[in-house]
Amino acid sequence: MRDEEIDKILKQAGQVAHNVDPALLDRVAKSVGSSLDPVRPLPPRWVLASGLALVCAAVALAGAARAGFFGIQAQSPLDRALIFPTLGILMWLAATAAVGEAIPGSRRRAAPSTLLAAASLALLAVFAVLFQDYRTERFVSQGIVCLAAGLLHAIPAALASWLLLRRGFAVNPVAAGLVLGTLAGLAGVGMLELHCRNLETLHVMLWHTAVLPVCAATGALVGWAVTRRSAP
Amino acid sequence: MARYQQGDFTAATALIHRLSPQLHRFFVVQFASRGDADDLLQETWLRIHEARHTYRAGEPVLPWFYAIARHIRVDHYRKASRTLAREERLEEKHEAAATSPARSDGPPDLEGILASLPESQREVIEMLKVAGMSLEEVARATSSSIGSVKQKAHRAYEKLRERLRGMERSEGRTGELP
Repeated sequence: MRDEEIDKILKQAGQVAHNVDPALLDRVAKSVGSSLDPVRPLPPRWVLASGLALVCAAVALAGAARAGFFGIQAQSPLDRALIFPTLGILMWLAATAAVGEAIPGSRRRAAPSTLLAAASLALLAVFAVLFQDYRTERFVSQGIVCLAAGLLHAIPAALASWLLLRRGFAVNPVAAGLVLGTLAGLAGVGMLELHCRNLETLHVMLWHTAVLPVCAATGALVGWAVTRRSAP
Repeated sequence: MARYQQGDFTAATALIHRLSPQLHRFFVVQFASRGDADDLLQETWLRIHEARHTYRAGEPVLPWFYAIARHIRVDHYRKASRTLAREERLEEKHEAAATSPARSDGPPDLEGILASLPESQREVIEMLKVAGMSLEEVARATSSSIGSVKQKAHRAYEKLRERLRGMERSEGRTGELP
C-alpha cells in the first residue's frame, strides 16, 4: 500500500462530518460573550525579546556596579571581546526562546534543554580557550561565593523577566521555566564576568558556568510546581 | 480573530462554530469519550478566551488554537491518570473507560484507523491529514521541529500501512474504506 493510498483513506475518513452538540456551542458562545471586552494584543516578539535581554544586561551591570568592575579590569581586550559578545548572543537567543514559550503556537528553533546545553558548552569553550591559569587556590570557598553571587543576581533578573512576560500564556510551564531560568542564569554569569577578578580556568569554568544549569533547573522546578498546583 | 480580540461577539461566535468541530475531533481522536471531549472543548475555549491577547495578527492561527487545545488535553490526561492511580489503589479493578479504544463495531472510522498509533503520532496525523495543517504549522502547534514532525508522520504511515493491510485482509477486499 502506497502513501498516496493511505492519504486518500485518511482524507475520506476525515471528511465524515463531525458534529458537536449545538447546545454546547451555544453555551460556549454565551460564556465567552459574557466577558468579551476588547483586549490589547502582546507587543511584537522582538520588542519583548529586546526588553528581556536589556533587563538581564541591566541586572548584571547594576550588580557589578555595586560590587565593583574588578573582573573586566583584570581581563585582556581579547577576553572582553570574546566573553561579552558571547554572553550577549546567548542572552538574545534565550530571550527569543522565552518569548516563544509565552506565546502559544510559536516556532521553536531549539528545545529548551538544547538551548541550556548549547549555552553552557559555549561558555565552557570560551573560558577554556581564554583562560590558561590552572591553579586552584581556595577553589571551593571562592567558588561557592561566586556561585551564590551569580544565583542572587539571577533572582531579580528572573522576576523582572517574569513581569515582562506575565501577560503571556505558557502552554508548557516546565519548558518556560527552564528557558527563563537559563536567561536569568546568563544575567548571573554576566555579573560574575564583570565583577570576579579570579581568572583561574577551573574556577571560571566550574563555578561561573554552574550558575546557568542551577538557575535553569530551578526555573523548571518552579514550572513543574505551577503545573502541579493547577492539578486537583 | 482580530475582530474577536476587539470584542466582536459575532466574530467570536463564528469562530466557535467554525473551529469547534475540528477541535472536538482532535480530542475524540485522542481516545477521549464524547463526554470528555465536550468538557475538553469547553475548557479549551475558556483558555482561548483568557489568552486571546497572545495571538498576534498575521501569524498562523491554527497552531495557536491547537497549541492551547493540546495543552488542555495533556493537562486533562495528567489529572486523569493521577485520579486513576488514586482510585486504583482503592479499587484494583477500575475500569479505564476514558482511555479504552474506540468502537470496534460498524465501519472503520478515523478514530478506528488511528487507534493503533501512539499518542504523539496520532496527533501529528490528525493535524496534518484531517485538519489540513502544514508541517510548519504542526511543528508550531506541538512545539517541536519540522524534522521531528516528519519523522513521526513517517513512522505513523508505517504502522498505518500494516494496520490497513490487516483490515483489508480481514474484510476480504482491497477497495476503499467506507
